[in-house]
Amino acid sequence: MGALRRTFNGFASKHGLGVACFIGVAVLFWMIFLIALPQISMLDYSFRYNLPAAEVGGPNDVYTFANYGYFFQGNDGTFNGLDIGILVKTMVAAVFVTIIDILICYPIAFILAHSATGVSARLMVIGLIVPFWVNEILRAFAFRVLFGATGLINGIGLSTGLWDQPIDFIRADVALYSGLTYAYILLMIFPIFNAVEALDRNQIEAARDMGASWWRVHWRVVLPVAKPGIASGATMVFMLTAGALAAPQILGGPSNLWFTQLIYQWFNQSANWQRGSAYAVILLIVCIAFVLMMMRVFKVSIGEIGR
Amino acid sequence: MNRETGGGPLAVGYALLFFAFLFGPLIIMVITAFNSSSFPRITPWECFTADWFGVLIGNDRLMSGLANSLVIGIGVVAIAVPIGLAGALALSELNPKLRAALYTVLITPILVPGVVLGISTIVFWGALGRSVGAGYESVFFDGMFLTMAGQVTFISAYAMLVFLARLQRFDPTLTEAALDLGATPGQAFRRILLPFLKPAIGSAAFLTFLASFENYNTTVFTILSGNTFTTALASKVRLGTDPSLSALAVIIIGLTLIGAIVHEAYTRRKEAERSGEAARSRIYGNPVLKMMVHPLSVLALLVAVAGILIYQGSRYDSSVCQQQILDEKRAIQEKLLEEQRKRIQQQKQLAPAPVSPGSGSASPSPFGGAFKPNTLAPKATPSDAKKDNPSPFGGAFNPNALKPQ
Amino acid sequence: MTTKDIVLDHVTIRFGPFTAVDNAHLTIKGGEFFSFLGPSGCGKTTLLRCVSGFSEPSEGRVLIGGNNMKGVGPNKRPTALIFQNLALFPLMSVADNIAFPLEVRGVGKKDRRKRADELLDMIALPGVGDKKVHELSGGQRQRVAIARALAVEPDILLLDEPLSALDLKLRHHMRSELRAIQQRVGLTFIYITHDQGEALTMSDRIAVMNSGIIEQIGDPETIYNKPKTAFVASFVGETNAIEGKVTAQDAGMVSVETPVGRLTGSAAGGRNYKPGDACILFIRPEQLVPGASSDGGNTIATERVKEEFEGNSRHLFLKANGLDLRLSRVNTGVKPDSETGGAVDVSFAADKAIVLPASALAGA
Repeated sequence: MGALRRTFNGFASKHGLGVACFIGVAVLFWMIFLIALPQISMLDYSFRYNLPAAEVGGPNDVYTFANYGYFFQGNDGTFNGLDIGILVKTMVAAVFVTIIDILICYPIAFILAHSATGVSARLMVIGLIVPFWVNEILRAFAFRVLFGATGLINGIGLSTGLWDQPIDFIRADVALYSGLTYAYILLMIFPIFNAVEALDRNQIEAARDMGASWWRVHWRVVLPVAKPGIASGATMVFMLTAGALAAPQILGGPSNLWFTQLIYQWFNQSANWQRGSAYAVILLIVCIAFVLMMMRVFKVSIGEIGR
Repeated sequence: MNRETGGGPLAVGYALLFFAFLFGPLIIMVITAFNSSSFPRITPWECFTADWFGVLIGNDRLMSGLANSLVIGIGVVAIAVPIGLAGALALSELNPKLRAALYTVLITPILVPGVVLGISTIVFWGALGRSVGAGYESVFFDGMFLTMAGQVTFISAYAMLVFLARLQRFDPTLTEAALDLGATPGQAFRRILLPFLKPAIGSAAFLTFLASFENYNTTVFTILSGNTFTTALASKVRLGTDPSLSALAVIIIGLTLIGAIVHEAYTRRKEAERSGEAARSRIYGNPVLKMMVHPLSVLALLVAVAGILIYQGSRYDSSVCQQQILDEKRAIQEKLLEEQRKRIQQQKQLAPAPVSPGSGSASPSPFGGAFKPNTLAPKATPSDAKKDNPSPFGGAFNPNALKPQ
Repeated sequence: MTTKDIVLDHVTIRFGPFTAVDNAHLTIKGGEFFSFLGPSGCGKTTLLRCVSGFSEPSEGRVLIGGNNMKGVGPNKRPTALIFQNLALFPLMSVADNIAFPLEVRGVGKKDRRKRADELLDMIALPGVGDKKVHELSGGQRQRVAIARALAVEPDILLLDEPLSALDLKLRHHMRSELRAIQQRVGLTFIYITHDQGEALTMSDRIAVMNSGIIEQIGDPETIYNKPKTAFVASFVGETNAIEGKVTAQDAGMVSVETPVGRLTGSAAGGRNYKPGDACILFIRPEQLVPGASSDGGNTIATERVKEEFEGNSRHLFLKANGLDLRLSRVNTGVKPDSETGGAVDVSFAADKAIVLPASALAGA
């Protein structure tokens, strides 16, 4: 409490009492009513039975592990391979998309930071941002146009005789992975760009001067500098990919569900909010655990995210 | 391009490839907006048409969603920008240890999956509403309110990042100087820090509005039974696609490009004025040219061009071409039908077993079953199609049946 | 005691375990040009921020015009601070900058502008009021910052190394200008600098600081000619420091056994030494003369290392038994014969040398 009071007084003497009150109220409201309490309610909710409205708060409204039990064992107490499988598949796919994004974005971020100059650099930045002002749904839709059974790629492939049956890119998840890779490119490029930009151009030139190959310059000089940026970008891309809903709904194959789609089904089709909450908690915990593990492996801190 | 630090043909080639990936899908989508084919595609090209824009505007669900989205977007900007500003100010003043802790708390909403935020929002406010005995008509069960609450949770963090970046470049001695010169802390904030943050307030407002408008993952839960533009769009895409979505993309990309060009004109002008080159520069030195490149004249010019295009598009009549395509298809179908009749006749003669004429899967139509989803598209009713389509297969497989009558 | 007096009453400022200012105790008289001189990190800026109200002393009091300033914010103190980077508001015009202190006091727009124009005339920059700050040169910005600080007629002007960003010529020009402004407005100036030239030329009095401690307070002549500590002697001006041990003291004169022979100097401030005390004998380069002493006094046998010519003076670099010595002479246009050759005897008058107890030297 003392620290809080000192902080508040610090704000008041620097920016005035009004501003200090505004900062205090806004930040506390954000932290308590928008971040903390909703997450806690969701957690609480996930331990409850799905009861009719009349029984809520009644004697039957007790805590239970049933919703989590269902995830692991299904209704019949056996291994719930379907849902667990979907979760594992979602995680693996998110890792896959993240790695592809790193591979695609690292060169572009480097070129943008150190090779492009003046007009070309400016055009590149605009070119990077403009596609992302277009609605997420429409971007996914564009990939459907591209990869659909009568889409451009099948059209070209069929008319040039590369293949004679329309390939179902949707069912093969090619469209989905492309769409997800595309969707979060910007979130990967800018953190890497910010990190790499700090690198002194002379260092690269010095390394080149000493006869290091391009491969070596990047491995020894550029990559260590880019690492926090890559970690930051990878965290965001991974979390957003694992939590994506629109792209899997639009681009995903009919039999290939994303874990978020399972949650969506519990809410909107089965009207079982409690079980949906449990699944959301599972998704959140698995994602955070995975990210924290990766941060430990690569020795970066969360404070570097979003820079 | 600087060859020494990694320019050269390889880098240029890669950059071109990358931007092809970035823009390719969008460009293709834009082109499909002008093809009269009822499925968004380029090949085969049927007729140039601007009709899909009309279909788009006639979609009531999208349009009411748009109204909701605008209200939510404005609300989110009004709440998230001040909250983000408060967060950034708090972070900039705290000691390093507290700062790291608070930063972690405030940045997590960006990382938490949107569906989790959406669920936690409706669960929390619902529980709160029940605990105070509020009815289902109350604000706690109002999709608009819940959507704003859910979106503000993470969009505030975007705004905060914008403000933090700007605050890092603030020279704190300016505030100290103001205090030393007799200003109260409040005066110093209003006269020194706030004007410094003004550009960041603008970009934060823009970013938060865009994020709110585009958001799907959180909104699809929090909007409950209602619709925003994006959720309406998503359900339309999931149910079936037609080029009116491409038309929407054309509009959005058009607006984006106008915005980007005007913004570029504005920043260039600012820069030229700041660096004092304005008088010397060939463009800014010439009064006529200077007027021409003023952001407002650029905007007016672009809007005028867009207006002319829209007018021309609305006047353009593609019905002749479409009728032609229709006739061709009908001819092909008649021919196929004729052949089939003959075959049936032959078969009848051989074995008098009846064959169902409705065996759609065996349809000789060259378009296969790909158009099935279109039967769900709004405004396309089989009876409409049948009126001018004598084909025994009905209008379902005829793409042109979907064009607005 | 006038309203412009400042008393630092045993002021100590700590940041955690680190003591930035240790027991500063002094009075600055109204209308005085007072400088704090010391190397960077010696605590002088901390002390200044304490006077202007940005920090409170951990111990002791700051009194301005006899009033304790505890709990009085920087905006309520009769001080105006000129920041090292000047802290002119980049988004405001020059006139708005100067009128800012009036604006926050609710002075009307017209009066503000009038006062700003008056001040611009005073600093000899009429007509620049509508320009933006970044359109001015470094020296002009300097003067605008001063005008802004003077707009509400503070009692005390605090200056934190305001000339450090200027080039040498402008810096010399601004020294005399600052001094002239101070004499014209009659304010108390507290000036912070690490440049002893600035402190010596402008100040009425100087406080020399080293690692949080005020080593000596005095007028420029006293500081230069009669340093009280080894640090002051070595920090202010060029000097030759010769370490040794006291052998005998006769009234004000001390005999010192050094690696370059037995030398005699005056005991600063009437100090008494015992034989065997470690001490340092300081002699300024301009007090060394070529040639052996005529009366058999302080003479050092040296080797010539090199000579530097600096326009108005020439510097002779010498080595005596491993010790570096420096001799400076005013350039008379004639190159003295005695300064050629390998071996050179140099000598100095005993009353020009100062013997101080051994302690840390500046830059050592």
